Amino acid sequence: MIALGAGIAVFTGIGAGVGIGIATGKAADAVARQPEAEGKISKVLLLGCALAEATAIYGLLIGIMCIFFLK
Amino acid sequence: MNNLAGNLLEELTVQYLTIPIGGYQLRISESVVVTWIIMAVMLGLAIFLTWGLKVDNISRKQAIVELIVTKSEALVEDMIGEHGKQYAPYLVTILLYLGMSNLIDLFDMKLFGLSLKPPTKDLNVTAALAFMSIILIEYAGIHQKGVRGWLKSFAEPVAIIAPINFLEIFIRPLSLCMRLFGNILGAFVIMELLKMVVPVVLPAFFSCYFDIFDGLIQAYIFVFLTSMFIKEAVE
Repeated sequence: MIALGAGIAVFTGIGAGVGIGIATGKAADAVARQPEAEGKISKVLLLGCALAEATAIYGLLIGIMCIFFLK
Repeated sequence: MNNLAGNLLEELTVQYLTIPIGGYQLRISESVVVTWIIMAVMLGLAIFLTWGLKVDNISRKQAIVELIVTKSEALVEDMIGEHGKQYAPYLVTILLYLGMSNLIDLFDMKLFGLSLKPPTKDLNVTAALAFMSIILIEYAGIHQKGVRGWLKSFAEPVAIIAPINFLEIFIRPLSLCMRLFGNILGAFVIMELLKMVVPVVLPAFFSCYFDIFDGLIQAYIFVFLTSMFIKEAVE
């Protein structure tokens, strides 16, 4: 059961994956349109990825804690 | 499988350095010792690099130092904006410390019976860093606007979202702390698992991503978010 719970917790990765995918796609779009704004775009992209990734990290943490601390 | 989990748990448990003082045993956790080592290295480098600075006829060493200092300060000042320039040295220090501590896993050494592991995989270290960040953010806001203006800034843009703005004081450090801790711990766990399953060749390539790229990106993101919050607070 604990392993199942950990597995369900890691499902948060779906959201982060979709979010980062959309963000990167839009960033590629923006760079294609305005190559001179690449520096600014990559900074915003990095910030967005960091915030989107946080959910996946919370899922991972909960998964790890489930396995190690629920015995 | 049980063996794998046991090995992993062994790697994850915090080791202690015990120093006997009189009749007592002083237990110092591994992250503190590793932080001391990083501090010693940084201090030694700083003293070595700033030895004998001149105004005219600069040496090659001094040119490199000036390049590093101006580039890193420009990087942070670019993020923090015009009003928060006085906080740039602190943020550059945090950037250097985090960069070094995330990369220290590359050196597979044992010092005083402790193996070098990134101190940022200890929740206490990242919690302390996030705590320092939020104090700096709120201090910057109070310093710029005065206590009144700082309290008023909670009611912006609409008074009704004041509770949410107030909650952000607690959410921001929590998320800063958990992001750094989770990323480094996740990378550490994956690398340890990989080293147990395939001990040759493969970890070298994955280490490039998980140790070097991820570690530096996370150091940058921590400083970037802190400076963005400061910029928001002082404007």
